[in-house]
Amino acid sequence: MARGDAEFVEFVQAASGRLAHAAYLMTGDHHQAEDAAQTALVRTYASWSRVRRDDPYAYTRRVMINYIVDNWRRPIREYPVDEVPHQRRGDVADEVTARRWLQIALGALTARQRAIVVLRYLFDLPEQQVARELDVSLGTVKSTTSRALEKLRQNLVELPTAPGGDR
Amino acid sequence: MNETDRLRAAIRATEPDDRGRFDVDTIMRQGRRLRRRRRVVRGGAALLSVIVVAVGVAAVLRQPDPFERSAQPAATSSTATTVTEPTVGAATPPPARPPIGTVLSTGIRYGGDERVFYFVAVDVPRAPEVTIGLVAGRRSVTGALTVDYLVNDVEGSDRRPGFHELGYEPSAQLLPDDPVPTFGYFVGPATRIIGSVGGQRMDAELARWSEDADVVVFWFHPQVLRPGQRLDGILAWDAQGRRL
Repeated sequence: MARGDAEFVEFVQAASGRLAHAAYLMTGDHHQAEDAAQTALVRTYASWSRVRRDDPYAYTRRVMINYIVDNWRRPIREYPVDEVPHQRRGDVADEVTARRWLQIALGALTARQRAIVVLRYLFDLPEQQVARELDVSLGTVKSTTSRALEKLRQNLVELPTAPGGDR
Repeated sequence: MNETDRLRAAIRATEPDDRGRFDVDTIMRQGRRLRRRRRVVRGGAALLSVIVVAVGVAAVLRQPDPFERSAQPAATSSTATTVTEPTVGAATPPPARPPIGTVLSTGIRYGGDERVFYFVAVDVPRAPEVTIGLVAGRRSVTGALTVDYLVNDVEGSDRRPGFHELGYEPSAQLLPDDPVPTFGYFVGPATRIIGSVGGQRMDAELARWSEDADVVVFWFHPQVLRPGQRLDGILAWDAQGRRL
């Protein structure tokens, strides 16, 4: 295997888990999420000689997020809980509660709002980088984040517990 | 704990730690295929010396994947409300012809390149009244034009009133980074063109051709209509709101 290919395999193994999780948070559908993540990885490999020396993770993330925003126009109507949570990482009840919480929280947002939420709170990107990756203005990121959080406040005000937050 | 803390905690708590769910061999195989297709596009200029027999509905430089090859550009009638698949069509290389009239900017960018549309001369056997074809191309920062897709009529007249052939991104399942927006032209006083897919309606962007004010070039921005998505129907209206 060529050196570049070996690097790509290593990259996929390291990055695919979080990318797929991000895609799932944005689509609420495992199949769509895997499709989006795989599409992004295919495009990354197609440009691997160019992007491998730069920041392949950021490149793949940007391709995937924009692919979902552009193509996944349907709102999340269902946010299926079809996986058994990983027990070794903590209390199962906490994770189930967290999934329900996310179901409500993200289901109320638009595709772009979900993208910004995922970039801000899963990848911990600063607002300026979110703006660059989504090719929107900083003001758009700020206002969209604000609207998204306002929706969260409205939808989640009655939830009594903080999922997974007290560990 | 506020909602952002809750959100962050919930996102982290639900993140699976399994790795390697993807078939890397498949990803690399598809990536190589995509890379080859991009090279074909970039190498389009090399194909221009090929003698062109413009009998096809469209000339597609991007070679679709084998499983996508049944996806051909659609043809429409002059008063079409329903889009039908073409009955004829063969991919041919685009002609090495200079633009006729203005190269129309779209504002759609792929890095330094911009999506543009322009007409070129074509020669269609058995259709002497078809003399122009519409190109979806890209203009680089240096002004160089690259042909991605050429669409032209294969019968009748290229100036008959109504819609003419539509051009679609051929790679409908795995879009390249610079997909061709759905596009075409209409002959007549259209000021608004609306396409429909699955009951949803979307406005096309319009521009008049510099060489013939009756010719209206239209395209659907990729954020409005996913490239490669087939239209169910397309309609045009004039400035007075009359359907054409």
